Order: sequence, then structure tokens, then C-alpha cells
Amino acid sequence: MRNTYRVLLLLLLIAQFQFSFAQIKRTIIGNITDSKTGETLIGASVKLTIGSTAIAMTNSYGFYVISALEGVHDISVSFIGYKTITRQLSLSKDMRLNFVLEPGNQLDEVVISGVKSNDNVGSPQMGLQKINTSEINNLPMLLGERDVMKALQLLPGIKLAGEGNSGFYIRGGSTDQNLILLDEAPVYNASHLLGFFSTFNSDAIKDVTVYKGGMPAQYGGRLSSVLDIRMNDGNRKENTLEGGIGLISSRLKVEVPIVKDKGSFMISARRTYADAFFKLSANPSVNRNTLYFYDLNAKANYKIDDKNTLFLSGYFGRDKLNLVRLFGFDWGNATVTLRWNHLYSSRLFSNTSLIYSKYNYIIHNLIEDSNYEVNSFIRDFNLKQDFEYNISNQHKLKFGLNGIYHTIAPGTMTTTGASSVNPVTYEKRKGLELAGYVTDEWTASEKLKIVYGLRLSSFSLLGPGNFKTYNADGDITQARSYGSGEFVKNYINPEPRFSASYRLNRNSSIKTSYTRNTQNIHLMSNSTSTSPTDLYIMNSNNVKPEIADQVSMGYFRNFKEDQFEFSAEIYYKWMQNQIEYRNGTDLREKDNVEADLLYGDGRAYGIELFLKKRFGKFNGWIGYTFSRTERQFDALNAGRWFYAKQDRTHDISLAGIYKPGLRWTFSTVFVYNTGNAVTYPSGKYQVNGRTVFYYTDKNGYRTPAYHRLDVSATLEGKPGKRFQSSWTFGIYNLYNRQNAFAINFKDDPNDVTKTEVVRTTLFGIIPSATWNFKF
Amino acid sequence: MMFYETKNGNVKLGAGFLTGFLSLSLFSACEKVIDLKLDNAAPAIVIEGGVNDLNENQVIRITKTYNFYDANRFNGVGGAKVVLTASDGTLVNYTESSPGIYMSPKFKGKPGTTYKLTVNSEGKTYTASSTMPQKVILNLLTFKSVNLVDKTRKYVTVIYDDPPGIPNQYHSIIRFKGKVKFDVATDDRFNDGNKVNDILFYDLKDMVPGDTIAVEFQCVDKAVYKYFFSMGQNTAEAQPVSPANPPSNFDNNALGVFSAYTSSSRKALVK
Repeated sequence: MRNTYRVLLLLLLIAQFQFSFAQIKRTIIGNITDSKTGETLIGASVKLTIGSTAIAMTNSYGFYVISALEGVHDISVSFIGYKTITRQLSLSKDMRLNFVLEPGNQLDEVVISGVKSNDNVGSPQMGLQKINTSEINNLPMLLGERDVMKALQLLPGIKLAGEGNSGFYIRGGSTDQNLILLDEAPVYNASHLLGFFSTFNSDAIKDVTVYKGGMPAQYGGRLSSVLDIRMNDGNRKENTLEGGIGLISSRLKVEVPIVKDKGSFMISARRTYADAFFKLSANPSVNRNTLYFYDLNAKANYKIDDKNTLFLSGYFGRDKLNLVRLFGFDWGNATVTLRWNHLYSSRLFSNTSLIYSKYNYIIHNLIEDSNYEVNSFIRDFNLKQDFEYNISNQHKLKFGLNGIYHTIAPGTMTTTGASSVNPVTYEKRKGLELAGYVTDEWTASEKLKIVYGLRLSSFSLLGPGNFKTYNADGDITQARSYGSGEFVKNYINPEPRFSASYRLNRNSSIKTSYTRNTQNIHLMSNSTSTSPTDLYIMNSNNVKPEIADQVSMGYFRNFKEDQFEFSAEIYYKWMQNQIEYRNGTDLREKDNVEADLLYGDGRAYGIELFLKKRFGKFNGWIGYTFSRTERQFDALNAGRWFYAKQDRTHDISLAGIYKPGLRWTFSTVFVYNTGNAVTYPSGKYQVNGRTVFYYTDKNGYRTPAYHRLDVSATLEGKPGKRFQSSWTFGIYNLYNRQNAFAINFKDDPNDVTKTEVVRTTLFGIIPSATWNFKF
Repeated sequence: MMFYETKNGNVKLGAGFLTGFLSLSLFSACEKVIDLKLDNAAPAIVIEGGVNDLNENQVIRITKTYNFYDANRFNGVGGAKVVLTASDGTLVNYTESSPGIYMSPKFKGKPGTTYKLTVNSEGKTYTASSTMPQKVILNLLTFKSVNLVDKTRKYVTVIYDDPPGIPNQYHSIIRFKGKVKFDVATDDRFNDGNKVNDILFYDLKDMVPGDTIAVEFQCVDKAVYKYFFSMGQNTAEAQPVSPANPPSNFDNNALGVFSAYTSSSRKALVK
């Protein structure tokens, strides 16, 4: 570890020297925005050519900085899907240049043939997947419900957790090891309707980036991945209204400029009416039942001057299930992000974020003589300060601080009247996560780019409360009471991050990366799928931070003038302090849950291949992943390595979008994956006169392979009108594959001397239709 | 434990309802019996039985596991030596009445006593201990109807007075026409000291008015509770847990459980 620091220090020194000996350069800064909406564009590139070439990309606020020697340059600004701007620029002083890009037609080859983006080859970032909303909107979806998370799962290395489940596994990580950020706010439960839809309404989303490895040092807190989702800022040019009516939900989005070109706001709402069918019933015990979810995204931005911009964004979503006089269950997330972009100088960009994030659920037992209500939540107050310091075109320094104050309320149970249930309150847990990071994006030469940095993260478990320590058998060895604000346990972890790319030629490069990630908040789930009631726990006397070290290497190549992009990445990941429940654990043990936990190691490795046709009448991609994910716990499976439930040997996904003319778009998706590792019985016996199944190896079996083909067709209205509408027709699971949602083992109800295996399939062939409009 | 079962039951109902609803509304979900290749594990020993507070021949059953696709049967293991020792010094020898079934002379177990069972079979020794808890009587059985979408489901409810201040664990067993149909382990974590109504979530749809169902209400110790609770989780359909063999109180890798329990039974007529 100490050596790592020394190396970093040395590199920083070298960086400083280079800076001091560099010739005086002029700096250009500015924003790049969409001509129609005024939305800032993330990841657009600015290229200056005078003999040698300098390239800069806009950050997540659409801001760029580039330096060049005085003189006459060719400057070109481009972004995929937009018309490239190319002009000459005479540079004699520092300047601010804002660019407005016009959306291009993907069909129009000429537009694209200017400067084609081959950042995927040039950037040192690995393990990165980006998806844009137009791609999401064109893909066939279950019930026509556009879903970011489901679109992501069509990319290599990102695996769907189960049929109709929005949870996902990245490079062998479990679902809780993904950091899901919506405008920087962590979203703890990203699914609706017990996992059938994600909480992200694609109307409100501008940009989605997934880091499967090589995470930049500004991200931390989860082991496997970062899913960074940015909401639309809102149209700064004109009022717009758009929406859609689908089989299961309707959507509406309003965008209004507050002051033209200065500020705007956006509100986007979605509500499902899965329970509409109930209302058709005449039976009052049926038509008063409810089942629905809604999402509300809102964002406002205001550009005070060239140096200061404010953003306020929020998300509120909830699921509600109510069965009359029986049972009520509702859960949801709320996030609020307040951000302030400030330009200290042309070289120093700052963003300050104040973030609130909460997930809670409430269960109501409405049966009178045993009624109760359970309330549980996890809540964060989060302060983040990020700086970007452009030392030169060679060195871009990013550094910052982050503090998160977590509160977890495992459950408070209240009752009314003559309930046979006693009220209970479980102790809240409080924790403080502090992190600091520094990273340097170093363009060592035209061919070699290196990003190296360090994140130092700490976690403190705070009082008040009673804290117990358990031995390996789960017996209490020590119990102590702590006062408010007292430190119970502290953990500090340095997380080195390194990635490098070496460009072999214009079209191809090799990359490598090493990252360490740690995780201080853990989601405990003993079921084969995630549930809204899964319990969050923090590091403690017993639970240590999870640690993952990942190395990866890759080969990236574009061909046919960037029309095709290809990548091959291999990775190996070591994981420490992984957590599993003891066999037979009672998940209701919320006050003593740590007595039932086991700790062990994990390892994951794989290869991901990806080939994408990026534009043209026909575009799409094919992804293939081979992977292994294993775990080792002394008390499970006799200490032998076993496949983690997310282990899947082969995973193939194929997406194709065909746009023959201006009005029709056809698309198709095919997925195939090896079944998950599961435990099935290898025998049976009788206890108490009932059949009991005998299990041998943990996760020694596989669910049947999963595959499915979906198609959809979208008809746009005649172009050029103020009011635009489109129809989307889709068929999910075209060849009606009976994929297993669950496999149950039980006595044959018709012949008690036999046992049988029953497969439940949730979704056979399902047609859908959606009508979208915009004006 | 009454409550939590209720709570789990409700979550299960809710989730089941939701899944059911989605399936129904899409008219596409389906269940099908499939042929799945399963391994045939080497037979393992299963010891099961107990001591209760009724004056009767106490029974221990010793069997071996067999293949999943074999016909269900009692796969008894004969020739074992079964000895019970009690913390009050009593020693009881069991005799084999038929292959795999071992019976004691008639006797009545006493609450508060710890019983240790020693089994010698095929050259290996297996032991387990269990302490008989204080008795709680099953006061009453009632029926409860629950409306789920357009179906009304009927469940049997056990009513008893949980003794305050001490942890209690219960094991309720529903028998119909002499066959065990359902069992559930509960504890008093959420309703200590209360008059408890616990719905047993076993759908009585197969029963017609005039049928009689019997419920045996047992008080069991913590390890036995854990065994039956864990077994119940394996069979939960709505939220499948990663299944595992329930934690046995026998040593030497034997499956099964040895329980010292009190027993209180009632019958109810389905109307």
C-alpha cells in the first residue's frame, strides 16, 4: 500500500514539472448544448488541429476545457447523433466558446462522416457501457414499457437477475453491489411491482453510463459497478409536452423554459393502472383493491451567469398494494439533489452537491385481531464536493470529498386496538461514510493515456445503541451500549484506481485497468430474487467492508470508418468479506441478524465480446459473455467453492434496429443465457409423515437455459408537424418460450406416492401497443 | 411466535396475489410438470421422532433418503439400538416394532426435563438432546375467511394464551383424514403474553362441510422450532429462499430432528 502512495506521489510530481515547463497556451472553455432543447450534451468532443491534435470532452454538465498554442486552428465539435460543426479559429487569447449542435438524422451518412467518434478506442476508460435514450426507445420491451435497466441488460457483462426482474448482476457481483445513481443520489431499490419494472422512466433520462470495471476514483461505495443516470435538465428553448398511453401505464412530460436560454424546468410523471381490471368487478371486496405504482421526476436549472449554474432535481416513486381488510404494502424511493456548478477560473471547475436519498416500506396487516403496521427505512444525507482542474491538455486533475450520513431503521411495528401483536421498535443504526479522492487523467503521448488515482474511504458506525459481537457459531461474545454519536467501529480503506490505454493505430487500442472497490452498506437477501423488504445492514463489529480487486484487459477496434465498433475485455475479480446467511436462517431476526451471517471469499472472471454497428439504416449489436462466479465459505458446502447464484456460463444478446425510411422503425432483441446456479434436491425422505427434500451441494444445479425473441415496430407520424405522434406495436417472447420463473418440487396432488417438478412460466407470448405524442 | 408467521403469510399472500394477478391479466402464465434430471445422492440417515407429555409409546423412526423419482415410501432402517436418557436419571430402551420404527414402553415426558437420544445404527452413533418446554394449551380452533380477488379462501386459526415473560415456540400440525397436510413453526417474538389468534395458511379448499380437521398444537424448544421453521421456508412458494437441509439437532450429519414437546389437540368441523 505504502508503495502505491509513493508511485502516485511521484507521478503527481512529474505532472507538476511538465506543467511548469510547458509553453504558454491559450485556453478555450465553454458549453455544448442541443439546438432544439438547450439541453447540455454529456461526452461531446471538441477537437483542435494544428499540426498535432488536442481533444477534450464535455463533462456531465456539458462543460469542456481545451488548451492550444496561439495560431489558426481547425476546430470541430461533434457528438453522436448530431451534426458536426467544423470551422477555423484564430486563437490569440483565452476565450469562452459555446457550441450549439443540431440533432442529425442517423440515416444521413453525410452528417456522420465528419469527425466520427472513436472515443471508445482512444479513451483509457474500460468496462464502460453507454446507452442513449433513442436506442432504449427503439427496442422492444415487455408490455411496451420502455426501460433503461432492461435495455442495459442487453449489453455484455450486465445480466438480468431473473424474468421480469429489474435487478442485475455485473461481472459476478450481486444486485446490491451496484451503485445506482440518479443525478448523483443513490437509489436503493430500483424496481417496481416486485421487480417487473425499473424506477427509471426513460422520458426523464438524458444519459446512462455503466462502469463495469475501472471505475474512476470519484465513484465509490459499491463493489461491482456504477450506474450513473442523469436526468434531463428541461428544455431551455420552448415549452414542450409529450406523453404516451400504454397497456399498463401512461406517461406525461412537461418542459418549460423559466427564462429563455437561462433556465428551465421539467416534470415527468408515470403511473401504472395494473389495477384497472379490479374496477370492472361488481364485487366490492375486489374493486376496492389497489395495485399500482407511480414515478415523478422533476428538475429545474438556472444559469445565473457564465460561472454559476444551479440545478435542483428530485425523484419520487411509490408502489402501492392494498387488499381490502387483509393486507397493505407500499414502498418507494425519494431523492433530492441540489447542485451548484461554479467556475473558479477557466481551469478550475467545481460542483457542489447536497443530496438526500430515502427508501422505505410500510406493511399493514389489516386483519383486525392481529393488525400491525411495520415501517422501515434507509436514509442518506450526502454532501459532495468535486473539482476538475485542467492543468494542461496532458493533465486533468479531478479531486473531491464526499460525506454521507446513513440512518437505517430496520423496523418499527405499531398496532391498534385489540391486536394480539405487541409493538416493537428495532434500534436504528447510524453510520458515517467519508471519502476523499484524487485522480489524474494523463495524456502521456498521442498513443498512451493513463488515468491513475486514489480514493480513500472510511466508515464509522455510530451510537447510540447496543452493539453485540458474535463468534463463528453465532454466539454473543460481547455486548456493549454506546451513547449518541459515540464511535463504535471505524474502517479505513485506500482504493487505488488505475487504467491505461495504448493506441495501436487510429482504429485500435489495448487497455488495461486495476481497481479496488469497497462497500460499507450491505443488502441481506436470502431469497432467489430481491424483495422490497430485504434488510440493509452496515459494517459493524462483525460485518467488515466488502473488498473487491479487479484487473481487466481489453482490445478495442473500430472499422469501416467507425461504422463498426468491436471490443473484447477479460477480467478477474477477487472479493473479500462477502456475506451469506447461515442455512435455515430466520430472516425476521432483525435485532440479531448478525448472529446468522457467514463471511467468505468470492472470485469472478470472464470474457466479454461486443460488436456494434453504430449507424446506418440497420444498426444494432451482438454481445457475448463467458463468465464464472464462485464463492467460498467455511460453513457452506463443506468449505468447497460453489457457484454463486448469479453465475452464468454463457450469455448472448442481440439487438437490431432497422429504419428503412422516415416513418417506420423495426427492432428485434434476442437473448440467451445459461441458467442460474441453484440448489435442487438430490433425494427425499419423510418427516412427520410429509415429504422432505434432501439437498447436497449448494447451487449444484442449473435452472433451464433462458432464451427469448422480441420484436417491435414503431410508426412515426408525418415529419415536420408541430404535433407529433407515434404508435409502437410489440410482441414479447415471439416464439412463446416457456422460461422458468420458478421451479417447485412437491408431492403429486393426484398421486401421493409420487413427487413432481413443476415449472412456473410468467410470460409467454405477449403483444403490446403504445401511443406516444409530443407537441 | 404467532405473529411473524402471520406476517410472513401475508407477505406471501400479497406476493402470490400479485404474481397471480399479473399472470391472470396477461393470460399467459402457466404451470407445467416437467422432467428435470436430478442426481441420486448416496442414501443418508434420517432420525425423526420425539417424546411428548402424553402417556403413550414414544416413537423414533429411522430411515434413509432415496431418489427423488422413486415412489414415496417409508424407507426404514432396521437393527438400530435406540436409548433415551433423561436429565432426571431415567433410562429408556426402545424396541423395534417394524423395520425402522422404534418404540418405547408407555411413559409420559415431563416439562422442564432434557432428553438425550442415542442411536447406534450401522456402526455409527448419533445423539441429540431436546428440552420439553412448559405446556401451553390450545384453547380454541376457529375458521377465518379471506377474500382474495374473486376467491374466498378459508383458513383454520389457532387461539391460545401465550405465557408472558418467557420465549415460547410452537409447532402446529393440521391433519385431515389421518394425514399430515400442513405444519408451521411459530414463536412469540411479536406477541409475548397475549391472547393469540394465529391463522394457519393452509387453504382448506379440498374440504367440504361435514369434514373434520384435527390440529395438534405442540410446544417445542428453540432448536426444534428452528428445524421446522427452516423446513417451512424451503417450501414457501412466493419468495423462494435458497433451500438447504433444515438444521438438525443430531450430530454426525444425521438428517431429521428429535423433539421433546407438549401436545394439545383439537378438532374442528368444517361448516
